[in-house]
Amino acid sequence: MLPLAAITPQQREEAARERRAIDASCRVPVLYFCVSAVFWLLIGSALAFIASVKLHSPYFLTGSPELTFGRVRMAHLQAVGLGWSALSLMAASIWLMCRLSRVELIYPRLVVFGGTLWNIGMILDVVGILRGDGLSIEWLDAPRYVPPFFIAGLGIVSAWTVATFRRRREPHVYVSQWYILAAMFWLPWLYTVAVTMIVWLPAVGVVQPVVNWWFGHNYLGLWMTPVALASAYYLIPKIIGRPVHSYYLSIIGFWSLALFYSWAGMHHLIGGPVPAWLVTASTVGSMMMFIPVIAVAINHHMTMLGSFHRLKYSPALRFTVFGSITYTAVSFQGSIEALRDFSEVAHFTHYTVAHAHLGAYGFFTMIMFGLMYYMIPRLTGREWASSGLIRLHFWCSAIGITIYFVALSIGGWWQGRMLNNPNTGFDRIITYLLPYLALRSVAGVLMTVGHLAFATLLTANLLGWGQRRLGGPTYFAEPTRNIPPIAPPREA
Amino acid sequence: MNPTEFAIFLTIFGSIVLFGGAAALALGWAFRGGQFENFERGARSIFGPDEPIGESTDAFPAFVRQNRSEAAL
Repeated sequence: MLPLAAITPQQREEAARERRAIDASCRVPVLYFCVSAVFWLLIGSALAFIASVKLHSPYFLTGSPELTFGRVRMAHLQAVGLGWSALSLMAASIWLMCRLSRVELIYPRLVVFGGTLWNIGMILDVVGILRGDGLSIEWLDAPRYVPPFFIAGLGIVSAWTVATFRRRREPHVYVSQWYILAAMFWLPWLYTVAVTMIVWLPAVGVVQPVVNWWFGHNYLGLWMTPVALASAYYLIPKIIGRPVHSYYLSIIGFWSLALFYSWAGMHHLIGGPVPAWLVTASTVGSMMMFIPVIAVAINHHMTMLGSFHRLKYSPALRFTVFGSITYTAVSFQGSIEALRDFSEVAHFTHYTVAHAHLGAYGFFTMIMFGLMYYMIPRLTGREWASSGLIRLHFWCSAIGITIYFVALSIGGWWQGRMLNNPNTGFDRIITYLLPYLALRSVAGVLMTVGHLAFATLLTANLLGWGQRRLGGPTYFAEPTRNIPPIAPPREA
Repeated sequence: MNPTEFAIFLTIFGSIVLFGGAAALALGWAFRGGQFENFERGARSIFGPDEPIGESTDAFPAFVRQNRSEAAL
């Protein structure tokens, strides 16, 4: 890596040409995945609104069985969990792997075909659940005819990500590549095993919930988390122009996550009829997760130190840093929730729902938004059409998830305390929760407004309504003269 | 052990062996390939002559426009 002053215009142009060619090679599949992801995000938001309102206004939309709470809530989880999340992180994985490997994507149509199979699976999944074919198994709610589409689509995308890595021209494997490769190996295996043992060749008795939560928790921790962290480890240093604070810590973080996360799922079964050692091992695994989380927290904070003023200028950085901070918070909370004493109150309450949304939205979704704000202009050659809509998106999402988390955490905690008191009637608990559930709907509306703003921005960008990007280097903008200069990189 | 139980046992055992084995193989490959030898080079590998260390690569559209109009003056 040459020092800034030693770079000649020719070297700069040559490197920019290579980067543009890489971006052009994956433009179609990555944009296809992004558009599909945002489509499912909007569907999921609408379903979430219906489900949320029904919790405090139970006579809302009671005319058809398709819109009963059980079906709508399942369809919401599938639309955002497997539609938005999986498709957005596949887009992230393809683009990041091409850039970090410094190779162009070959046969992009095959990746588009993989995404199409996933989309067909999603349509059958959501429509099937609303028609009453859902399986009522958390995270594996999809009707039994859907998994072959997911496995085939995922197999293609995973294989192509690995194939891109094998063709790499950059000899060093950056930490983001470790995370992406691991996620692309873990999920196909997790999903195939879980579907086999629960749907196609059902295991007997308590093995089913054990496999269910082994899959459900690892879907978050070994699929969504790695790719979101991969994105943060790429975007934060790139945007502020400073290498990651401690690369050593980032590698420690990856391998400790790989080692400990897969144990953690059984803490969802605390109090259930499963072997005690299984839950204890899982609690230990959850506690060990402090190691990778602290490693990531130190690294991201120390990398950003001295550059926080840039949050004012960069939408991608603002979303990504919000997600990174939330990762630390939600992971600490998750480890504490795995303790038996804590679970005595928080388990089976809205507190857990708040925690799940903080992870899936406050951490994962915000980082994916950040990545899209950075990535899409480089793929389309157009800048975002409206900074006002970006601000609206950020503040609606940030305030929305904050209200959601605070309201359900407080309400859920007292719900747990009241449920543990045999002298408290169930009707009193329901009445107590009503204002918190109404706040949840308000928060959901706010987040949906943010999603609509983002969908508008994406549509405008694809239609070419944003300003054309300047030629030459692919960076979005030179630092404006009002921004303080970047602090020199520190030695790790 | 009936065929279903055997298939479940095989799946669980296979998962443990494959997961653990793959992690061990990946770690061994990384050590042999010198991936853990020069951390500073690793941290700098995402930068290049077109996007070097010391340059920001992102901003709000409004600031881009402001910057351009200032540059045009």
